Amino acid sequence: MEITTQEYKRLTVVTVTGRVDSATSGDFESALHGLIEKGRFSLVLDMAGVEFLSSSGLRVMVSVLKSVRQAGGELCVAQPAAQASDAIAIAGLDALFRTFPSREAAIASF
Amino acid sequence: MGTFRLTVPGRLDRIRDVTGLVGEAALQAGFDSHSAYACELAVGEACENIIKHGYKAEDRGDIRVSIASLPGELTIELVDTAPPFNPARVPDTRAWTPDDPPVGGLGLLIIHRVMDQVQYLRRRRQNILRLVKHVPPGAG
Repeated sequence: MEITTQEYKRLTVVTVTGRVDSATSGDFESALHGLIEKGRFSLVLDMAGVEFLSSSGLRVMVSVLKSVRQAGGELCVAQPAAQASDAIAIAGLDALFRTFPSREAAIASF
Repeated sequence: MGTFRLTVPGRLDRIRDVTGLVGEAALQAGFDSHSAYACELAVGEACENIIKHGYKAEDRGDIRVSIASLPGELTIELVDTAPPFNPARVPDTRAWTPDDPPVGGLGLLIIHRVMDQVQYLRRRRQNILRLVKHVPPGAG
């Protein structure tokens, strides 16, 4: 799994690639909560390169979503790979996450 | 078609070995890529439960995997020597709301949503979890 972040004035784009599972979700969680601790509550999660998304990764996403919404922010999912969107749908979380077909559309939603 | 066997140490970073084999066997059984991936997800969750809730830590024991791939049907058996842990009970999601899901419990939910049969046996101090999935109608 690789995580890169790009900070813009109003929001932060987090690009995650590879396998987000129980072996890697700790790093995923640290990266996202690190942004929250810096006061970055508007997040775009680019999941185009996700190859596997387990419940461990989904738990992090739900936890971060709740945290940023409590702070008045939002977590949007951008261009999820089929492996990411399938996992989100199977877990019944597709109504929870605002999802956009492109990174640009997600950024424009803020 | 055929039987695949694999034994891995109970470590989170070895779950990918199991799910990779499941995906391969599912494609051989005629599943499409979405259904094959769903099987990978479910088996990955089952392995994670064995390590976290059965063994309660990594490197406490092995997971023995056997996969039977038949036309239109996949059967996965996971055997471990952890204390009894039964993931076959269907999770109670009545209190869940789409806007405020609990952070826990997603793994069991995924297993039960994906697989057609989830059977648990405790035999000779072993947990035996048998997961069966049929090719969805119109898929493959």
